[in-house]
Amino acid sequence: MAGRELLPDGAGRARVGGLLWHLALCGAVVSLLFAVVWALLSSFRPTSRIYGLTPSWPTLEHYTRVLAEWPVATLVGNTFVMASAVAVGQVVIGCLAAFALVHLTPRARRPVLALLTVSLAIPPQALIIPQYLMATRLGWLNTEAGLIVPQLGSSALAVLVLVQHVRAMPVSAAQAARLEGALPREVLWYVVLPALRPAIAAVAVLVFITTWNEYLWPLLITPRTEDTTVQIGLSQFVTAEGTDYGGLLAASTLTSLPILLVYLVAARRITDAFMQAGAR
Amino acid sequence: MTAAATLAAQAPVVARRRRPGLAGWSYLLPLLLVVGVWIYLPVLATVVLSLLDWNLTSPTAEFVGLDNLRRLLSEPEFAQAAGQTLLYAVALLPFSTAVPLLLAVLLWARPGRASTIYRSLLFVPAMVAPVAVAVAWRFLLNPLNGLVNEVTGRVGLPAVNWLGDPAWALPVIVVVTAARVVAFNMLLFSAALSGLDRRAVEAARLEGATGFEVVWFVVLPQLRSTTVLLGLLSVVLAGQWSFTNVSVLTQGGPDGVTDNVYHRIHTLGFGYFETGMASTASVLVLVFFALAALAAEAVRRRRGRS
Repeated sequence: MAGRELLPDGAGRARVGGLLWHLALCGAVVSLLFAVVWALLSSFRPTSRIYGLTPSWPTLEHYTRVLAEWPVATLVGNTFVMASAVAVGQVVIGCLAAFALVHLTPRARRPVLALLTVSLAIPPQALIIPQYLMATRLGWLNTEAGLIVPQLGSSALAVLVLVQHVRAMPVSAAQAARLEGALPREVLWYVVLPALRPAIAAVAVLVFITTWNEYLWPLLITPRTEDTTVQIGLSQFVTAEGTDYGGLLAASTLTSLPILLVYLVAARRITDAFMQAGAR
Repeated sequence: MTAAATLAAQAPVVARRRRPGLAGWSYLLPLLLVVGVWIYLPVLATVVLSLLDWNLTSPTAEFVGLDNLRRLLSEPEFAQAAGQTLLYAVALLPFSTAVPLLLAVLLWARPGRASTIYRSLLFVPAMVAPVAVAVAWRFLLNPLNGLVNEVTGRVGLPAVNWLGDPAWALPVIVVVTAARVVAFNMLLFSAALSGLDRRAVEAARLEGATGFEVVWFVVLPQLRSTTVLLGLLSVVLAGQWSFTNVSVLTQGGPDGVTDNVYHRIHTLGFGYFETGMASTASVLVLVFFALAALAAEAVRRRRGRS
């Protein structure tokens, strides 16, 4: 590892430098994660001792209570359906558009990409009133369609990332396919999509996580608890049971758990996916 | 990826078919449809709604022209929210530039397994559900026996009602929001660093530059555009990032000191059903963003020429 270090260091100084390096990063990790970790640990403490610093045996009382009284399964189910549908929808829309912009209508590329970049810069809060009006007129209040379809409008980032990948693809195979008289949809299906698989996975994960954590739109379109997402369910819990901290902390741990478990398994891939999208 | 392959990729593969335009547009249609219907149509609708006096449910709406603008601008709450939006932007600036930049450079300086593990850990705040983060802080900051007051009490400081005290509420929201911003931008700086020209770094090392000198004279200059970009984004996005925390923790209070324009739009539209005023505030935000984008573009052009 020492050989791969990019910064020069004398042999003796390297150890001190390494120690400082670990100290600095450990410090950063602790200060960024302290609140969340403390809340997680406290969710296992009995109500009488939930505050304070005295150690106590862990208990699952808050979890059993929350699981019995709070529709966790429904909320997680709703959120899962929403996040998967938005991820699949944006990926499908994005693959079709990226393929078209690179291979079918290259002249439309610049204006369409400009349109998308502008749409990325528009603050979502500035559009909530007309979006809400449109969705309610369609009868989508408290429905999955209301949660999903309007969020497909934020496909810009997915498309921009996919366009970049399609452009960077070597096309000899695609050209060969064209020479043999393949239709565009055949080129897309047999040549472009297989090569695009890693990028598609990265974009899908990215969209899934951002949609899972979305707050504002589900707050507006699904005010009813049994139709809403974990974020809104949890914020309603805060309003209703503001002082039941044991329950609140257990509920918020359960809310974050699915994403954190996914992250635990694939942290490297997920950070890579966000880095690729961010590099744009 | 070789240069030849990339070059070849620029050339459209299927464009010369008989009616490529039509086929191409049919592939683009879903995208244009969702973005047109759910982004650009609402932009136009917001402008129209800003000229009407309407309450979101009444069957009739009255055209009032710019009266909503007059009412909005004479409302002290909106001026306060607008000012605080800028305050959020300034307060979050170090957390979107200096802090994540430092962390990314540290991670970059010693590549290896430890660095990868630290990066994964530092990114966790961006993964945790935003409402869960707000709940965690609400617990820590509880004025009666929360951990923060417990600790400050032991060193003899008076108990503070962190979220209820007008002097403390906004700084607290900034701190709560900061972790997510640091996590995200750390990763974006890492992305920029991974595209860094390593030959210049190697050359500086051979010349005998110290680690600090390498970072200061070789690495940071190459990150300037990323830093400026993330700084600008932060100014623009700070109000949006803090939205969830404001909404869950303070609802804009106490005395409106944690409000910002985005939360104000939400309150006007869905709290008071003042559709016209909320839309007018949205239009002002959109105009501000358009002007900021034009200014950024002008700066970029001037830089490009000199």
